[in-house]
Amino acid sequence: MSCKLEDRRPDWKSYALGELDARARQEAESHVAACADCQDELAGLRVTLDAMATLREEELPRRIAFVSDKVFEPRWYQKLFLRPSFAAAGLIAAAILVHAFVRPVSTPANVPQPMAQVDTSAIESRVTAEVTARLQSEMAATINTAVTKAVAETEKRDDHRTALLLSASERRYTDAADFLNKQVTRIYALNTGAGVR
Amino acid sequence: MIFREVEDRDLIAKARQGDVEAYNLLVSRWEKRIFNYLLRLVSNREDALDISQETFLKAYQNLRKLDDPARFSAWLFRIAHNEAFSLLRRRKPESELSEPRPRDFGGRLLPIELSLAVESAFKVLSEDQREAVLLKVYQGFKFDEMAEILEIPVSTVKSRLYTALDLLKATLAPTVFRKGGLA
Repeated sequence: MSCKLEDRRPDWKSYALGELDARARQEAESHVAACADCQDELAGLRVTLDAMATLREEELPRRIAFVSDKVFEPRWYQKLFLRPSFAAAGLIAAAILVHAFVRPVSTPANVPQPMAQVDTSAIESRVTAEVTARLQSEMAATINTAVTKAVAETEKRDDHRTALLLSASERRYTDAADFLNKQVTRIYALNTGAGVR
Repeated sequence: MIFREVEDRDLIAKARQGDVEAYNLLVSRWEKRIFNYLLRLVSNREDALDISQETFLKAYQNLRKLDDPARFSAWLFRIAHNEAFSLLRRRKPESELSEPRPRDFGGRLLPIELSLAVESAFKVLSEDQREAVLLKVYQGFKFDEMAEILEIPVSTVKSRLYTALDLLKATLAPTVFRKGGLA
């Protein structure tokens, strides 16, 4: 080993992999400029990493996708109850009702009772809102089902087409690789005088 | 108005509320990386695709357990790692029968041959070493992220990776260095 730093030489693997901080990187670069041994080590690493970079990313044979299964989705009243504010309001309402029915009657009999005031317009607007919300929910569910079905059919057709194309290109790739290997082996044998393996 | 692409964390937030389409968009962003990582790890296209699907399904089921959406990629690769090694452990007896040998490529190399030589050289690595190379060189994770994915100390990550690089360099040297190098 000719590097004068010996055990304190820069960590060239971390350097080549981009893991050194700016200062360590600068120190390493100023050292390598004057050290043949470290130049060799770094060149070897770079050639290896360059070779590894030739490995291409492959495409997926088919895309991954998930569909929303309406059977397992919560119903509208379950969704409402999943909301913490609605659940809390529901519990409070239930508590008030229970209290109203089970508490002891302490009002003197001779005290006149107030007449119950029924706000019909408020009830009507609440019912209308509830019916509208349910209708919208049902319509959204129907549309979603139709869209999901259409998307699934399209994806199925695309998957089939992709599989066919992929299969054809894989065959071409294999054939090309075999052909190239044979050619290179033949040329190498001709150049070196060795028999064709 | 500044156009801003939808971030992963926004998609994660929507998917957590049950928005399957948001999750599908998230899958489309990561499926190729996950598939290629698994493909190099398990060396079989069908297995890699099956495990990719399983990985994304488990990720969806456990999305609420993800504490920090910014760590989604490391968390996703952790799931993929667990699924892959579960398969590799099941297959172990079969794969131990075959002794991997790097192929010999003569002459000056063309890119396609070089990539075949690299694929062949990967077979001399142990699964742990190969995975370290995949996460660092092909997926670009930092040492500390790899330590999180693999649940091992950073020192072990570096040790696996450095040994793998030495082995790859030695295995590829006869083809890359002596016989003319890159075309």
